[in-house]
Amino acid sequence: MKIVVLNGNPDQSNTEFESYLKGLSDLLESHDHKVTTFVLRDMDIRYCVGCFGCWVKTPGECVNADDSAQIRREIVNSDLLIFASPVIIGFTSAVLKRVHDKCIPLVLPYLGIFDGECHHPGRYDSYPVMGLILQPESDTDEEDIQIITDIYERDSLNFQTDFVFSKLTTGPVEEIVDEINGI
Amino acid sequence: MRLTVFNGSPRGTGSNTGILLGQFLKGYTGTEGNSYELIYLNRVDRQDEFVETFRNAETVLLAFPLYADAMPAIVKTFIESLAPLRGRGGNPSIGFIVQSGFPEPVHTRCLERYLQKLAKRLGCPWFGTAVRGGVEGIQAMPPERTRRLFESFYSLGKDFGATGRFDPQIIDSLARRDSYPADGRSKGITTAQLKGSDMYWDNLLRKNGAYENRYARPYTDNPE
Repeated sequence: MKIVVLNGNPDQSNTEFESYLKGLSDLLESHDHKVTTFVLRDMDIRYCVGCFGCWVKTPGECVNADDSAQIRREIVNSDLLIFASPVIIGFTSAVLKRVHDKCIPLVLPYLGIFDGECHHPGRYDSYPVMGLILQPESDTDEEDIQIITDIYERDSLNFQTDFVFSKLTTGPVEEIVDEINGI
Repeated sequence: MRLTVFNGSPRGTGSNTGILLGQFLKGYTGTEGNSYELIYLNRVDRQDEFVETFRNAETVLLAFPLYADAMPAIVKTFIESLAPLRGRGGNPSIGFIVQSGFPEPVHTRCLERYLQKLAKRLGCPWFGTAVRGGVEGIQAMPPERTRRLFESFYSLGKDFGATGRFDPQIIDSLARRDSYPADGRSKGITTAQLKGSDMYWDNLLRKNGAYENRYARPYTDNPE
């Protein structure tokens, strides 16, 4: 399976998070998955400015060129997209959200009704299924995890794809790999 | 009342969020003695100033468009910069306005839970969250199509200016909760409404000479 991991850890001194993802990626590779990891904090990813140029000027591509283009390309050509982030004030990191906001070139501007809700039809035939890995912060509780998971599950509807797991870095990487092997 | 308004739209001064805030503030200033300060969060290089403004604020209104079912990244950056104020006594009371392009309130439901929890986490008394869908394109609409929308935000501001809270009835009517089933889904959206939205985008595509290319798939059609 082709897997893209978006490492949304803004702080390289958070080595616990980094080594968790490294362990996960190594184990996935040993199970013959192909893993491409983007360390977002080291990339040039601008904020989406809401111009809709990617819909009405250069359809499918952001008009403000930055490193997010290579991420979008990998996403579209993958089977599983993993969002990974420490929880920061109750949500995934701002640097991960920057990439998230820059994913609207992947859908069309038009509206359709999908499963009883308005969404934008896909620009591509299919999108990877999505998973979420969170590192709790000191005051993270179950409600926080549920809220973040629900928001990401909702976002999978925007790409008419499946949300397949939400896991914590406090659990073993083997559990995530088992989950992925079962997809 | 002294209100500090953070406009969290990446479009800043030209934003739909700003237009709705304009109506809200017109109502808000109808009560004598009310004043406000308006801050644009898209000036991302001014994060330190934003935090100081928040620290000294009495009442805060954070307004933004829904991006990918959550807050725009500039708003998350702002929220993260407030971390040092967590647990400090005397944080301002806070309320939120979230507007979306999608018409139904269901898209914003999960984020509403996040925002209420955020207020609690920061130790800010929460005075409400107003949600409104179907806002994209309002700048291209004739006045008769935006009149009721603008009146609703004016009423929300006027009532808030007098009471210091968001009136639950105005909140419900703004979200048009009665137009949707209890789960907030899109029953009642007509094919004609969808067509209207499609035409809006097609016009913009034609204006930019990009219509023929509207279904482009740059990441699969053009290998690297």
